Amino acid sequence: MIKNYFKIAIRNLWRHRGYSVLNIGGLAIGMTAGFLVLLYVGFEMSYDSFHSKADRLYRLSTDIKTPSDKYETPVVDWNILSELESEFPEIEMSTLVMGTDIDVKVGNENYTENRSLAAGAALFQMFDFKLLEGHSKTALSAPLSIVLDKTTAAKYFGDGNAMGKTLKIMDGKYSVTVTGVMDDMPNNSMVKGNIILSISTYTEVIDPTLKDSWANFENLGFVLLNPETDANVLEAKFKPYVEKIHGEQMKSSNMQLAYFLEPIQDIYLYSDRGSTPQITNIYIFSIVGLFILLIAAINFINLTTARSVERAKEVGIRKVIGAQKGQLAFQFLGESLIICLFAFLIAVGLSMLALPYFNELAGKVVATSIFAKPLYILSLLAISVFIAIVAGAYPALVLSSFKAVKVLKGKFSRSSKGILLRKGLVVLQFSISVILIIGTFVIYSQTYFMQHQDLGFSKEQLLILPTNNQNGQEEMQKALASNPDILSMSTSSSVPGGGGEWQTALSVLENNMGQDQSLTLNRFNIDENYIPQFDIKLLAGRNFSKQFASDSTEAMILNEKAIKLLGFADPADAIGKSFEQWDKKGTVIGVIKDFHIQSLQEEIMPLSMVMGSGDNKLLNLKVSTQNLGKTLGFIKKYWQEYFPNKSFDYFFMDAFFNQQYKSEERFASLFLNFALLAIFISCLGLLGLASYSTLQRRREIGIRKILGSSAFGIVHLLSADFLKLVAIAILIASPIAWYGMHSWLQDFAYRIDIPWWIFLVAGILAIGIALVTISFQAIKAAIANPVKSLRTE
Amino acid sequence: MITITDLEKYYATEEVRTIALNKLSFKVKEGEFVAVMGPSGCGKSTLLNILGLLDDPDGGSFVFNGIEVAGFNERKRADLRKHNIGFVFQSFNLIDELTVFENVELPLIYTGVKPAERKVRVDAVLEKMQIMHRRKHFPQQLSGGQQQRVAVARAVVNNPKLILADEPTGNLDSSNGNEVMDLLTELNEAGTTIIMVTHSEHDAKYSHRIIRMLDGQKVTENVLAEFKSV
Repeated sequence: MIKNYFKIAIRNLWRHRGYSVLNIGGLAIGMTAGFLVLLYVGFEMSYDSFHSKADRLYRLSTDIKTPSDKYETPVVDWNILSELESEFPEIEMSTLVMGTDIDVKVGNENYTENRSLAAGAALFQMFDFKLLEGHSKTALSAPLSIVLDKTTAAKYFGDGNAMGKTLKIMDGKYSVTVTGVMDDMPNNSMVKGNIILSISTYTEVIDPTLKDSWANFENLGFVLLNPETDANVLEAKFKPYVEKIHGEQMKSSNMQLAYFLEPIQDIYLYSDRGSTPQITNIYIFSIVGLFILLIAAINFINLTTARSVERAKEVGIRKVIGAQKGQLAFQFLGESLIICLFAFLIAVGLSMLALPYFNELAGKVVATSIFAKPLYILSLLAISVFIAIVAGAYPALVLSSFKAVKVLKGKFSRSSKGILLRKGLVVLQFSISVILIIGTFVIYSQTYFMQHQDLGFSKEQLLILPTNNQNGQEEMQKALASNPDILSMSTSSSVPGGGGEWQTALSVLENNMGQDQSLTLNRFNIDENYIPQFDIKLLAGRNFSKQFASDSTEAMILNEKAIKLLGFADPADAIGKSFEQWDKKGTVIGVIKDFHIQSLQEEIMPLSMVMGSGDNKLLNLKVSTQNLGKTLGFIKKYWQEYFPNKSFDYFFMDAFFNQQYKSEERFASLFLNFALLAIFISCLGLLGLASYSTLQRRREIGIRKILGSSAFGIVHLLSADFLKLVAIAILIASPIAWYGMHSWLQDFAYRIDIPWWIFLVAGILAIGIALVTISFQAIKAAIANPVKSLRTE
Repeated sequence: MITITDLEKYYATEEVRTIALNKLSFKVKEGEFVAVMGPSGCGKSTLLNILGLLDDPDGGSFVFNGIEVAGFNERKRADLRKHNIGFVFQSFNLIDELTVFENVELPLIYTGVKPAERKVRVDAVLEKMQIMHRRKHFPQQLSGGQQQRVAVARAVVNNPKLILADEPTGNLDSSNGNEVMDLLTELNEAGTTIIMVTHSEHDAKYSHRIIRMLDGQKVTENVLAEFKSV
């Protein structure tokens, strides 16, 4: 009997190839999208969960409270970890982890490793990073030790003989020994780098004063707790202890520090310390994935139920011959299962093909193979079976309860309930599609807005060289000045977008009431050429100048935001007011217009600029767009001449700044792709339904034409029904989309207002797409010879 | 074999109640070949559906093989039907997606016959209907006469006691129609009871007895001369 069912199912599919392609194809594409989303979400959820001690690993983070601000940072200072570890036996181990870039010289080759780490000896015991060579307990204990990952070791030394080799790092100043080779760190690890320097290199060799420093926040701190420890209880003990040992220091520096433990597995998803929590994106993608799967499943249900009418005769015959209701229901369920399993197999194939592109789209290796985690494939299989049952249940129940007599006598009428259900599902599908269209529009508008908004400075034609302010820089600058394509030069500690070193400094400034006010300010060290070069507007006062010798010690320029916090309405009123910041003490000489030093996702922060020298590790060149290649070659030549130990390194300001929007761009393009898929699958379904309903009404169309209806009248007749559904979908989708995107935009400090025309355009687009899809069928029916259609009845 | 007494059937729409069968009574003995005739809408098809256990009467009694079946539920009716009754329709009603062999095999599947035996019985009946050479064809590949032969084969493969034929020659030309009527006669001679609804006086002559109906009632019942002795 099963064989009979199988046979009839396959023959049915084959006989109605068009429908089958729409049906199985749509379902397979939907499943593929759902599966890729599943992989993505699974990957995102798996961050840092691969460590065997993950449930005991925590990040220690610091809240810094100054009189004016509160910062929730992910970092700790140099000594708190060891202090806590020796005081609290609940802490089994701990390590600092510093992310940095290190330049490396191997033989005569220079490399800049942007993803370098420095970490303590406990790293390999706390985390499950696999050490291929070297000892996990000691690899990072001695100063001037370095561990390379497999790829980097091969890059430096070829395969298999890196251990014990010596490298020169930091402009050749230090020689370090390779004490370990590790597997490349997993993609779903927050702690990720190519090379790891022992952190004792910093505390013992590079800067021994770090051991006694306080409140110098540079590193992430991780602790491994004892198995029985309750993190909350331990966390509560930190406060009195820190008060005891650092109370005096905190008071004198006007800074209250509080320490918190974050479970390592939650950081990527939920922590907003120093990063954006990913959980919202994961929710959004899960919903989008479910949406697409839903659309595909609806297609399947709609096409199957619509076509079920054609099977009525078969049902009648089978009943006459003696089939029981249950047997028939089972037959149709089985058929639906066959189709879904078919779609499943195709989806597996499509996923395999699509995975590399998807990884690229996602900007990370979400999975190396779709079979890497069998559980996911099994989930997809379960989903297919589920869809088969849901989609098969309706025809199974409806068809099996047909009255044989009526069906065979041709008295069978299409049940209005079934039509209503299908209409409802089409509305649901198109609502989802319209939501996704609107979402795509809003995301793209916001991304465009962020990239094209006036930033308050000019990021064009700026070439930034991280020279590290080494010996020879001044000579090089002199040499570069001879090139007419280099239009201007400046040096600074920092550039917008996070380039260089970023400092925040607790400062005391005179406010509009004449009082001293504490304020935490961002601090850029710049020179007198920086403000004109970056085209930053001066609102009051003057720029730094070499003519005032005191500018390098006693002068400060503030941005608008800072003087507003000090209570000055007019920038000119802030000029001449006193300031104290770290080693400097003097007066405010200028006020600049606010400019964005961070992405538009962030609020503009108060900023101070001082004239620096030793801290200006960036050399900024404004270059002519002509002869760019030649200019770069020219610069490189002098770089190699003056910095023989450093690899030539540069970036363009505009690209660098826009890099901050990479995740938004990725988000937008992922969203766009999924929206397109959703629309495409919806259209497949609509195409199937339209052609089906046209077929059903062939007789009616024939009669209408004989009675004098025009072809246009017929197209109108056939399209109007569906367009009404799409219109309802737009009405339903618009408020939902508005609400969803409005919430999404709240994460951006500078955001667009959702323009009303987006809804209009999305609506027109949806109707247009639907119309094209339907009219394809409708026109065919309208121009057909009516005599023919009547005769075939 | 069949005794119906005061059989009633109504069709009700919101406004009109149509009487399809109005206190109809007659008997059919085992081995008889009965033709039911009458104008469109006289209730012939309703009668056939009730006799075929596809539909339930609204009143009266229907005794089939000594069992009162009026009021049986669908399951019981289906059960009785698949073992005892074969159907032949005007429009053949073959399943398009199944081959000749598979169409004929279907009733055996539903009555739970084992595959090996199914093959033997289907082959035998196809042989008998002279359609064996077409066993792997699909219905659309056959002529009308051939399709009806397949339908007859399907009706008899279970060795039913009763065959109900609803205008079996209605869609056939006269030579194909005669062939089908000859087939039915042969089956009847082999002992199968046949009740046939028809418009055709020509076909009705193949039967032993003609029941003429009008407005849901029996108007005349004439036994054809040569069968008066039966």
